[in-house]
Amino acid sequence: MSIFLIFLAGILFLAGILFINPLVKKEVMWKTVLIWALYVVGSAVLWMGISFIYINASVGHAKATSTAIFLFGGIAIVIAIILARLLGFIGLKKLNKTDESVQA
Amino acid sequence: MIGSGKQNSKLEKKIQVTRRGFLKTGAAAAAMGVLGAIQAPSKVAEAAVSNYGYIPGEKGLWSKLRPEPNYGGASVSYAEHNDQWLGTSQIVGTVKQTSEKNMGFAQAAQGNFGPKSQAGLFTLGPRYPINAGIGPAMAQIAGEAIVDGTPSPQKLPIPDPEQMSMHIKDLAYYLRADEVGIGKMPEFSYYSNKMNPPLIAIVAGAVPKGVPITETPFNERMPYVIMVAVEQHLETYLASTGYDGIANTQSFRCYHATANISVIIAGYIRALGYHARAHHFANYGAVMGPALISAGMGELTRTGDCVAHPRIGFRNKVAAITTDLPLVPDKPIDFGMLDFCRVCKKCADNCPAQAISFDKDPVEYNGYMRWNSDFKKCTQFRTGNDEGNCCGRCIKICPWNSKESSWFHEAGIWIGSKGEASASLLKKIDDMFGYGTETVEKYKWWLEWPELYKFDY
Repeated sequence: MSIFLIFLAGILFLAGILFINPLVKKEVMWKTVLIWALYVVGSAVLWMGISFIYINASVGHAKATSTAIFLFGGIAIVIAIILARLLGFIGLKKLNKTDESVQA
Repeated sequence: MIGSGKQNSKLEKKIQVTRRGFLKTGAAAAAMGVLGAIQAPSKVAEAAVSNYGYIPGEKGLWSKLRPEPNYGGASVSYAEHNDQWLGTSQIVGTVKQTSEKNMGFAQAAQGNFGPKSQAGLFTLGPRYPINAGIGPAMAQIAGEAIVDGTPSPQKLPIPDPEQMSMHIKDLAYYLRADEVGIGKMPEFSYYSNKMNPPLIAIVAGAVPKGVPITETPFNERMPYVIMVAVEQHLETYLASTGYDGIANTQSFRCYHATANISVIIAGYIRALGYHARAHHFANYGAVMGPALISAGMGELTRTGDCVAHPRIGFRNKVAAITTDLPLVPDKPIDFGMLDFCRVCKKCADNCPAQAISFDKDPVEYNGYMRWNSDFKKCTQFRTGNDEGNCCGRCIKICPWNSKESSWFHEAGIWIGSKGEASASLLKKIDDMFGYGTETVEKYKWWLEWPELYKFDY
């Protein structure tokens, strides 16, 4: 199982790079760097968390498992939202819709 | 037809023999080539131990089976062993040898800790059925004739003590020790006197309560000590409160295992022509703590006399072999245990007997610095526990002890061994995730015998 998880982490990490690469280049350098940094940190937190939760759950550490779900899961979700906003997956559509309604 | 058939079979046989011979020659040549290639670089070293087929390990290896010591992620450095320091334990005066008769359980046996403690000790083994099985098994390897003996008159020449040290460590691992170390035997580690009857006879209920405890001088002095440790069962501790029925069995199991290992190693060394005596729970001739520190197996903890190993903490039991076999001793180690114990205090918070000190710093005791736990309270609780059998709550609780092997526990131990601030962080993380204090019931495999835990006194 752990080998499968490591494999999955690697594949999804590479797939994520290919997926966001066309959307990353921004007009200012710091935004591009920030996006890649968040992507790397977010992936690390997410997969460390999955590994931590998997090992603790299999041993039977109930409190450690539940705490880790909130801790690692929470951090990963916050990073994912920031990243999604920077890449334009959320927030921008609303703006476009407003533009359309104004034009209409 | 028949004749020609015989001729054909003779011909076939001839051909077969020729093929086999060819194959044999080829295989022999290949084997000689391989052996030559393997053995050529170690020709010089091999000459030193000729006739025994020993292929020397590389210089600096911990052992062949475990090339590097397993410290489980802790940041470890070497410490001194001189007249002022034994590892990280400071020596501030003359450390006097102690008599076995003065240790906690022996005092309980003499009635010095009250009638309940005395009665509890004399029935400790029989009050839990697994211990009733292990105790007599351990007693079988407790006699002087088996822990000690006369060495073989023919001494094995040992031109390279480093190789012999590796060899002895490999033997310990082979005999299922979890950890092994070699140290210079501190003289004050020896008991001045041994008690009679031995503790195992009392704990196993083989002698009646109130039997007079006498003592006899113990005069052995050997230059080296080999320490072997066997881990107490992790999952069982996860499921235990630390002071329920299985608590004492956790110790007995490892005492029995280390007793076997130590007796076998001592017997082996004597067969090589050198003096060797095994010291185990059923027949100690020495206090194990200083010998452990000397052998690089850990540091003293807040509990007062438990020595924690970087990887397994003090969730282990040990035995020793004192010997004059030429060996190269390991150095005492420092992995920040004192700094950790200074800030953690989790064992003191959770001790059901409230026996563990809350002092910030170690204090002087018998010429050295340590945390002074109340051993009367500790012994009284362990012997008088009538809701379980003995106690190992501090072993279960300690953040250094109760961990499965994983990257984040290794990382945690690395953090914890970096000084007081990081130790405080590790303790907070340990508490946040609930390690140590939880009971994981899925591992509770043993039976509880509440009616056996109660006793008259």
